[in-house]
Amino acid sequence: MNSRIAEHPILGTIEKGKLVTFYYDDKKLEGYEGEPIAAALRAAGVMVHRHTQKKGEPRGIFCAIGRCTDCVMVVDGKPNVRTCITPLAEGMKVNTQYGVLEKSARRSEETA
Amino acid sequence: MKRYDLIVVGAGPSGLSAAIEAAKSGLRVVVFDENANPGGQLFKQVHKFFGSKEHKAKIRGFRIGSELLEEANRLGVEVILNATVAGLFQDKEVTVRINDAINHYKGDAVVVATGAAENIVPFVGWTLPGVIGAGAAQTMMNLHGIMPGKKVLMLGSGNVGLVVSYQLLQVGCEVVALVDAAPKIGGYGVHAAKLARTGVPFYLSHTIIKAEGTNHVTGVTIGQVDRKWNIIPGTEKHFDVDTICMAVGLSPMAQLLKMAGCAMENNPQKGGYVPVCDAYGETSIEGVFVAGDVSGVEEASSAMIEGRIAGIATAEYLGFIDKAELTEKAETLENALSSLRQGMFAPENKGKLIEKTEEGYDISTHLLQNGFFTDQEVEKYPGVTKQPGVHAVIECSQNIPCNPCQDACPKHCIKIGDKITSLPVIDEQTTCSGCGLCVAACSGQAIFLVNEDYQEGYASITLPYEFLPLPAKGDTGWALNRGGEKVCMAEVVGVNTSPLFDRTNLLTIKVPVDMAMKARFFKGGSCHAQG
Repeated sequence: MNSRIAEHPILGTIEKGKLVTFYYDDKKLEGYEGEPIAAALRAAGVMVHRHTQKKGEPRGIFCAIGRCTDCVMVVDGKPNVRTCITPLAEGMKVNTQYGVLEKSARRSEETA
Repeated sequence: MKRYDLIVVGAGPSGLSAAIEAAKSGLRVVVFDENANPGGQLFKQVHKFFGSKEHKAKIRGFRIGSELLEEANRLGVEVILNATVAGLFQDKEVTVRINDAINHYKGDAVVVATGAAENIVPFVGWTLPGVIGAGAAQTMMNLHGIMPGKKVLMLGSGNVGLVVSYQLLQVGCEVVALVDAAPKIGGYGVHAAKLARTGVPFYLSHTIIKAEGTNHVTGVTIGQVDRKWNIIPGTEKHFDVDTICMAVGLSPMAQLLKMAGCAMENNPQKGGYVPVCDAYGETSIEGVFVAGDVSGVEEASSAMIEGRIAGIATAEYLGFIDKAELTEKAETLENALSSLRQGMFAPENKGKLIEKTEEGYDISTHLLQNGFFTDQEVEKYPGVTKQPGVHAVIECSQNIPCNPCQDACPKHCIKIGDKITSLPVIDEQTTCSGCGLCVAACSGQAIFLVNEDYQEGYASITLPYEFLPLPAKGDTGWALNRGGEKVCMAEVVGVNTSPLFDRTNLLTIKVPVDMAMKARFFKGGSCHAQG
């Protein structure tokens, strides 16, 4: 699904940085430098950012302004990064977060 | 520890306005904001604002944001971004988190303008990816150029729900339904009418039963509620959607003020837990002021005025101006503020059912329940007249604080008078030139030019059009009525994209003459808006 707005009837063309590649769970994706990681993920059709600690429920973008922390992911090895307000950079490694720690990934995957 | 005359918390409309006024009086001002960009929510507001000419009516929100920023910069206001104010203490010491460090600042005065946060309604499945706040939808589409989804259901019929739904249509999303548990539409009728005529159905007295999907939203079920808000069995309706958007009100973010020890109150008219403050926004702690939504949820227009008042008051508090100057400057602003708080949507009318306008016209219950008038109802309002040749038809039926149409007309056909909430009246003694300035100036897009003498058997209708692709002269398509139903074929006979209209383009369509007072929207072969 192409969810990028080519031209807005009021804003015209929305200015973007340069096109860069980044990695989402080891998959190569493209996005624009400086836009929130979450925006690049949504444009690529990614909805699930993390799974909760206890029940493993999926979570994604909710407030998009850094307030709710529903969209946190493991970014370049650091867990709990709010992807809706963290700018995308070339070569970033963005991984789905399981629970609240970067290390809990494997354990949650085993139980899933 | 760094010192300033004034520390402002929040670089939104009220915070920037406070900083501007204080800096004008010579104060050294710093503004902290936790976001990467200043302007608060203004840069997401692509619609034209209501209000009066003096207070930025008919200007789009994002342009107001740019104007405020420029003015603040020119006056030497320091704006520090990515800076979260984490603490406010009684001696006006402020702790600010910048990167991963806590920094200390001290102000001789402080203005807290932290705004408000979105409320949520929990329902089964509300935590699924694809359930988002209306603010998130605005942020994604208007700041980052991303469609939040393809098919969206909006919960909440206040102005935020109505305006964001319209913005979703503008970027090509489909709004499958607008749902509210209340029995009537909460926001302005004109905002609802903009949606209804494109075909968005309204479900009042309905709420969400559940969001469906395993990993993300794939559908939603709504149902009708009884007077005790219980779902009436058998009324369930399902929609295939990928996005559910919540616009169910805002709550003031007053935590810093509570922390500082300000006297607080729970005030439902102001939207929740707010600091007690005087007319200048001063709290129970001397020198600590508030402005904007943090002191009571309202529109950005009133937030800017409150900010200006607070800014001037800090200047007086610190001795930069005297009491007489404060009284004089504040009086004009207070008058403007009180005019914005008049009318049917005034804070004291929250939740009340108003049946008649101030002038004594019936309020349309059909409008309040469906988002549009019946053909009979519309004719009784003073902006709707039947005249030979081209003339403006103003479908404005509620007392809201707004008057740009009156100033827009070079022929003085439109009268509102001194009371900004009065319904516009068409003066039948004057002659409309058909210029269309009023059509583009109406923030509610409620003005149409109608000419029943366009051609033998045909009328022309000029309507505001803010969608892409813009139809071209000669295009044919459907004319839709106020409820979004296809009523007849229509031909585009004029497209006016004058820069004066600020992207509210004017489309003139030709329809059979009996459709002159029915057709209100055009749906071409491939237009974005649904029908």
